[in-house]
Amino acid sequence: MSMWILLEALIKIFVIIGGLMTAAAYLVLLERRVAAWIQDRRGPNRVGIPLTNIRIFGLGQPIADGVKFIFKEEFIPGHVNRWLYVLAPSAMFVAAIVLFAAVPFGAVDLGIEGWEPIALVVMPGLDVGIVYIFAVGSIAVYGVVLGSWASNNKYAFFGGMRSAAQLISYEIPLGLGILGVVLASGSLRLDEIVQSQAETGVWNVFTQPLGFLVFLVAAFAEAGRLPFDLAETEQELVGGYHTEYSGIKLMMFLVAEYLHMVAASFLIVLLFFGGWHFWGLTGSEPVAGIGVALLRVVVLLAKFMLVVLFFMVARWSWPRFRFDQLMSLAWKVMLPLGLVNLVGLAFWIEYGRPRFSGANEWIVMAIGGWVLLVASWLVTTLLVPAASDNRPRLGPAAADLDTKEAASP
Amino acid sequence: MNQSLQTIVPAVLLGALGMWLLLPRPSLRGRMAGGAAAAAALGLIASRLPMIGGMTVQGLFYVIAGVTIVSAAAAVSLRNPVYCAVWFAMTLLGTAGLFLLQGAQFLAVATVVVYAGAILVTFLFVLMLAEPSGRAVYDRLSWEGLLSAVAGVVLIGILTASIGSMMAEEAAAPRSLAPSEAELAAGVLNERHVAALGREMFGPHLIAVQVGGVLLLAALIGAAAIVAGGRPTQPSSSPPASNMKEPSANRTRPITPE
Repeated sequence: MSMWILLEALIKIFVIIGGLMTAAAYLVLLERRVAAWIQDRRGPNRVGIPLTNIRIFGLGQPIADGVKFIFKEEFIPGHVNRWLYVLAPSAMFVAAIVLFAAVPFGAVDLGIEGWEPIALVVMPGLDVGIVYIFAVGSIAVYGVVLGSWASNNKYAFFGGMRSAAQLISYEIPLGLGILGVVLASGSLRLDEIVQSQAETGVWNVFTQPLGFLVFLVAAFAEAGRLPFDLAETEQELVGGYHTEYSGIKLMMFLVAEYLHMVAASFLIVLLFFGGWHFWGLTGSEPVAGIGVALLRVVVLLAKFMLVVLFFMVARWSWPRFRFDQLMSLAWKVMLPLGLVNLVGLAFWIEYGRPRFSGANEWIVMAIGGWVLLVASWLVTTLLVPAASDNRPRLGPAAADLDTKEAASP
Repeated sequence: MNQSLQTIVPAVLLGALGMWLLLPRPSLRGRMAGGAAAAAALGLIASRLPMIGGMTVQGLFYVIAGVTIVSAAAAVSLRNPVYCAVWFAMTLLGTAGLFLLQGAQFLAVATVVVYAGAILVTFLFVLMLAEPSGRAVYDRLSWEGLLSAVAGVVLIGILTASIGSMMAEEAAAPRSLAPSEAELAAGVLNERHVAALGREMFGPHLIAVQVGGVLLLAALIGAAAIVAGGRPTQPSSSPPASNMKEPSANRTRPITPE
């Protein structure tokens, strides 16, 4: 019996890792094509089948890139701390992959006599699913911090420091966004969170728009995507924490970063967009036959692709934050908004929900959620100045001094 | 004194001697001997461990426990504080693995989130900024090495003595050390054991949780007060002179020379 469990787990692990590596490679290609489309260029469209002139929309590009990375010289600069220099990309890569062990794709009943329904997740029955993902995600910061320190390079070190501060700060709004969903679903298990959205047919994004906003921003920051990619600002820090890396170690860093984005997209879909559920298409039973289970996987992947496309388009739509703006966004805006969402939801569950029943419950909850979003949005935008001044403070406000000088001559 | 204690007492003493030799001291002599003594002590203790569970579980336990102990020893005995922090992270991951092996899922992930993910990263942050390569004398010496080794001996001695007496009872009147099926079903094997844990924490232990929360809040306010204490919260009319004299590159308007 335990042999079969082991075999099942191994098969799932192979599928997940194979799928992730392929997906990461081809999402890079997609991202470059999307970037080219936004910037009115052509993008990588040449690499096709080797030794022929056949271009298949540049689909050979990821393979060529991967081969180039792997066959590059395994070079370790002389001034680095060798142990930590090698440890850092491995730690980040492993943490990024292990995270996917708790991402559920539904459950399938193969219809064979004597077979239990198979949960399409590497670790079925993990009662702490979302906290596990949170925990493994928080390990990623070691890769950044150790890599930057071991590189013995001030640009890398700046990148590492920025990244560590950013990752630690945005874990709090991320956790608050997750807590809202957990409170609404009453479970830490990702499959049950999806199940509760499927049964009611009301995705969490409709009832908790504020929580979704907080989670989305925090997920962007945790993934280090463009409005938040201060760790590797090319204009200021060469390459940030991976300045001194090359070859396969650089590839591990880059793939790990990509996997963070993939994980963030999956979490957004699972927590807020109903996972595999779609109205009138996938049903809402926990276990499905093989056809419906496949359909559910397709629905989940389609939603995932939409979120990934949003990530890619967002990359070319906003300028990068300044570091003080980044920090005040986390602590002064996102943290209070997350708390407002959580407290509002707790009030609703304790006092509001028992008074309503049926569809009314969801309509009132959704209206309440959107009112909360608009109200807190207005308060935030009215209280926070549109532009902030990061010049050094000179005792009396610098503006005062300037007006005095302007008046004196 | 039964047979297992006859092995464990010398093992613990040997381990203490080894750790004392391994701790950072002014001279490097004796580190090899210390490492050998600590390894021998580990082997001696491992030889007396009772078998609980099947071969797979026991093998996993040995591997994870060995990693945890070795990385804990490395965390206290290395001279470079950054290495110490990394080995301490490994210790925490090993501890989380041991929790997971016992079925305490929430405790395992909470250990990783709180200690490895947040507290230790902050340590690492400060260590890297403060004294990156451990050249300072105070980083290379262990304070009160003998006292800490003795304290470790006493702690491990008490624990092993209590476990030894439990094993003696077991030998006298055989009963299983493992919890019964009913206990397991209500506890860690419960499908919703995190919910059960929450009910336990916010039911009978509510006061303790509240006190902990208030303590953390007080610490937070204290930290904010320390940070804010250094400078005035409002721009005063007579600022410190040193601030005024500093040239500022960021000013948009040139200052007329006085």
